[in-house]
Amino acid sequence: MSDTPASRPTPRRNPEWSKTLFAVVFILVVIAAIVALFWQRQIGDAWSRMFGTERVQTGTTHIEQYDYGFHPRHITWRVGDKVTISLHNASATHWHEMMIGRGFDDTPYVVGPVHTQFDQDFWDGVHVTMSHAFKVDNFVPNKAIVTFVGQKPFTTEGGNFSPTLEPGGSLDLTFTVPNKPGTWQYGCFVQQFMHYVAGMHGTITILPAKT
Amino acid sequence: MSSIFADISQSEALRRGRRMLPPVVRGLFWAAIGFFIVNTLVSEVLDRTPLAPYVTKVSVTFGWTAATCGWLLGVGAWELVVKPYFGSPVEWDVPNDWRRYFMMSLDHKVVGIQYMVTSVAGFFIAGLAAMLMRFELMQGNLWTFPTPNAYLSTVGIHGTIMMFSFGTVMLVGGFGNYLIPLMIGSNSSAFPRVSAISQWLLPVGIVTVALSPILGTWTTGWRGYAPLAEQDPNGIVFYYLGVFAMTTSSLLVSINLTATILFQRAKGLTWNRIPMYAWGILAASLLNIIWLPEIQMTFILALLNNIVPLPMFSQIGTPLTYMEVFWLFGHPEVYIVVVPAFALWQEILPVMGQKTLFARSWGVLGLVFVMMFSGLVWAHHMFTNMRNDQMLPFSFFTEMISIPTGFAFLVSLGTVWKSRLRLTTPTLLVFMSMFNFLIGGVTGVMLADPVINLQTHDTFFVVGHFHYTIIGAMVFSFMAAAYYWLPRFSGRMYNEFWGKVGAIWVFIAFNAVFGQFLLIGLRGMNRWVPVYPKYLQNMNFEISLFAFLLGLGFLFNLVYYIWVWRYGKRVDANPWSAKTLEWQSTSAPGETNFDPPVQVLMGFYDYSDERPVCKPTSPAEVS
Amino acid sequence: MIDLVVFTVLWVSVSLLFEWIFHTLVHYGVYYYTATTQAVDGEHAVAFILYVLAPVIAFVVLMLVYDLIRFRARKSDGVLRSRHQFRTNKLFIGIWVLISIGLNLLFFVHPSASALEQMFNSEQARLNRQDLEVDVVARQWQWFFSYPQYGIDDAQDANGNSILYLPVNRNIKFVLRSYDPFHTYAPYSGVIHGFWIPAFGLKQDIIPGETRYMYVHTSKVTSYNVNPMVRVQCTEVCGPGHPFMVAPVNVVSGNDFQQWVNQQKKMEGQ
Ligand code: HEM
Ligand SMILES: [Cu+2]
Ligand SMILES: [Cu+2]
Ligand SMILES: [Cu+2]
Repeated sequence: MSDTPASRPTPRRNPEWSKTLFAVVFILVVIAAIVALFWQRQIGDAWSRMFGTERVQTGTTHIEQYDYGFHPRHITWRVGDKVTISLHNASATHWHEMMIGRGFDDTPYVVGPVHTQFDQDFWDGVHVTMSHAFKVDNFVPNKAIVTFVGQKPFTTEGGNFSPTLEPGGSLDLTFTVPNKPGTWQYGCFVQQFMHYVAGMHGTITILPAKT
Repeated sequence: MSSIFADISQSEALRRGRRMLPPVVRGLFWAAIGFFIVNTLVSEVLDRTPLAPYVTKVSVTFGWTAATCGWLLGVGAWELVVKPYFGSPVEWDVPNDWRRYFMMSLDHKVVGIQYMVTSVAGFFIAGLAAMLMRFELMQGNLWTFPTPNAYLSTVGIHGTIMMFSFGTVMLVGGFGNYLIPLMIGSNSSAFPRVSAISQWLLPVGIVTVALSPILGTWTTGWRGYAPLAEQDPNGIVFYYLGVFAMTTSSLLVSINLTATILFQRAKGLTWNRIPMYAWGILAASLLNIIWLPEIQMTFILALLNNIVPLPMFSQIGTPLTYMEVFWLFGHPEVYIVVVPAFALWQEILPVMGQKTLFARSWGVLGLVFVMMFSGLVWAHHMFTNMRNDQMLPFSFFTEMISIPTGFAFLVSLGTVWKSRLRLTTPTLLVFMSMFNFLIGGVTGVMLADPVINLQTHDTFFVVGHFHYTIIGAMVFSFMAAAYYWLPRFSGRMYNEFWGKVGAIWVFIAFNAVFGQFLLIGLRGMNRWVPVYPKYLQNMNFEISLFAFLLGLGFLFNLVYYIWVWRYGKRVDANPWSAKTLEWQSTSAPGETNFDPPVQVLMGFYDYSDERPVCKPTSPAEVS
Repeated sequence: MIDLVVFTVLWVSVSLLFEWIFHTLVHYGVYYYTATTQAVDGEHAVAFILYVLAPVIAFVVLMLVYDLIRFRARKSDGVLRSRHQFRTNKLFIGIWVLISIGLNLLFFVHPSASALEQMFNSEQARLNRQDLEVDVVARQWQWFFSYPQYGIDDAQDANGNSILYLPVNRNIKFVLRSYDPFHTYAPYSGVIHGFWIPAFGLKQDIIPGETRYMYVHTSKVTSYNVNPMVRVQCTEVCGPGHPFMVAPVNVVSGNDFQQWVNQQKKMEGQ
């Protein structure tokens, strides 16, 4: 320590800082970091259960698609309410779709079977209005009864009801929640079903109609 | 020196009772403030996007930078660097107790210990990641991790933290800071403030990378390679930032140690008397100084590519550019890791055998030539994607570099031949390290052959190979050094029985794991896969069991080491009868090494000469 | 002197032991399973290196063990310093340096340069007029195989998974490209993939924007079901779907191949 710089002869502060304060803050920060790392999802879910979309949604539900997930991951609707899904693909690089359904269709595959789509399509027989379609890669109506407002996107066949959005794309789906109460899933199966595997899914709770 | 601190703490301030905030707490607090202000400014004001979350890729980059500055200032740079720069007297009093390790310090031994502890913490964090990976790989399907991306992030975290906070750091920032000034007879490193700052950057890097999945998973592994990185979720931003902090840390340390070795040597410590470890550190530091800026620029471009975006590695560049520049640094990186380890063999064996170092000049030549050639071979990581006409040159240089590498064996084997070898734990660990590096070298010669490489590249064969060189050579040598210098650090001696139990435990488990990595790679297990065909499951399952045994082995050594440090048997200075200067001083952290300064009279490795290696300079000579 | 003699005798015997171990390994197959001539060439290269290095490995290993036992300091010995103090031995260093240069030059000439020469030869256009051409497209996260000479656009099995069929004893030319044929607007979707069939003994990376080639000569009738090493596996990490980029391979007789071609064409015709 040959070049220890000139110090003030008498310090104005006591350098023996508190060990308790140090230990408490340090441990709290470590715990917070571990919790954030491993239980981020659970905490987010608990948060949304209390303050967010877990409560019954009426009107417009904004759903953001990103790589690889949906925000929010839980939605609650009530049968008979008129609702709008405002879907937006927030990714700058990937296209994403949104299917809603239950159960899975599986295909055998070299490293074990993979889910290719939902077995039961939520949209079967549902009247739905699609509007504000922007940068839609393709749209599969399947057995839904669709009314288009504004530009009609490229529609095609095959598989469940699913709009697929290009990066930055968006659209609105307006419909009256059909009488299909219970728990449903939504998910994205594009790119050889890998978005689903990578965590791109969420759940919808549909409550029975108010009597 | 220590007495000065003690006096201060008894002074008036103590009576007035105004205690300073613990520097780490203040650092965290200032970091939080910095992040909050800058992130808000960017995400809510300057770069506002509707519906975007509070923390975006762009805002987190600036917020992180502010947080890092806040942290560095908080742990002491404010008083030690910024205020004195503007002319105020330094007001930074380091208490003479454990507190000095949790605040910025200018003492090279304190910095060395801080570095070692941080680096070992990085090792165990990354090791935990490895255990999680091995847990997942016990089965061929996803069962530990929710998604493949979570697994891949873990692979990346493991590799990144291991390489940039342990492999590159432990022997340079850790042992280097502590021992190099001692070994060359100096009382401090050349730029104490530089090392002080660089040490406190290291935890920033480790934490940033370890917490990266909070921002989003990333899948590129430790290379962070574009073009894949540019479509990864936001966690990749934390990879670049964290690695930037860690590489800056290594760069600063290297500048300091190079200057120290060049300019701070004691009187009489001429070039041909420089200790082997100092040669190793000099070579590794020069490699750092040459190559780290290169990779840091690459990381910055890749970061810009992510947040601007600036498609440097796709549309307006080529997809391979990133890989090329990464490995241009990446291969020298492995020598940064292993050159100090070679130097350790040559440092420890003459002492343990009490025999003159054999062919010293060839040993130095080996270290220096490896350093100089290391930039010629990088593309052997790219045989699968280069042009045909590039293959032979890179194959040639890669094979040739094993010649200077072999000199480390030449010197070590020649030294122990007809020595009087004390079979201590460090000796055993050095021998194990040589055995492991032999396997690493043989598999390396195979990998240098393009035709074999095309089969084994990106399989567990390669993973086995590089763990043989890194754990096998560097970690085992590090453990040897840790036991060798334990009496110097703590004044206490470990028990040979338990030391050897630790060494043999790790050796057996290590070879069981990574020997089988080689085989399972040949059998068709490729890298970066949490999901693999069923036929590989039994072997993977069993490898994982040995991997857990290995993890426990490291843990055992750590616990035992700490125990000895605190409660071990007290031992005299210089228990190994070594000649190097660090054993001629008993200074503890916070104390002056050589008072008065010493003068070196002869080389440190000549055991036929019984005269003392150094003498204190008389005050007249100091002037 | 006695040390030198004992060591040399031991060294020769340990070398022989290692030769025998490596021979057994090679006999069992260091590549585990090979189905092309290229894989066999690679295996030969490994074998050659192992055989030549056996004495070197034996030397170092034996030296370590011998030193540990023979030169160990006994606690009872009062004297600490070794009686033998020498700084150098020109003969030993000379031999060491010459041998290490010689060995590395040898390895560069053979197997590195020689095997590579063979590989380059197999890629000569004039030697490949009769090759079966397979277009391989890698996208995230799927393989597409098409056979332009037979008009097959996308070879699939009954489940709709991509599958690779190859005739035995043919030169195959794989044409490798990385892009997404269905989403050409997505500028970032091209990443690097790696085309590897473990039993074929070599791999090539697939780079977006480049067309790369890989040549093999199939040498036995086999399939994924016979040995799971007969599969296409992506080896360069390419995102979350990377582990799932696998496709089974079938190497079949010429007749069976023709039959499969007809069947595929019928399927695609529908
Ligand atoms: C504690 C024992 C260790 C175990 C069980 C272990 C295991 C593994 C495994 C399973 C992989 C993944 C291979 C893959 O799929 O690509 C890996 C990768 C890696 N390991 Fe280790 N490892 C250990 C220690 C170390 C150490 C000490 C270092 C360096 C100092 C290290 C450096 C790396 C690197 C650089 C990678 C590559 C990561 C990547 O592909 O991005 N490992 N390790
Ligand atoms: Cu998606
Ligand atoms: Cu390399
Ligand atoms: Cu791939």
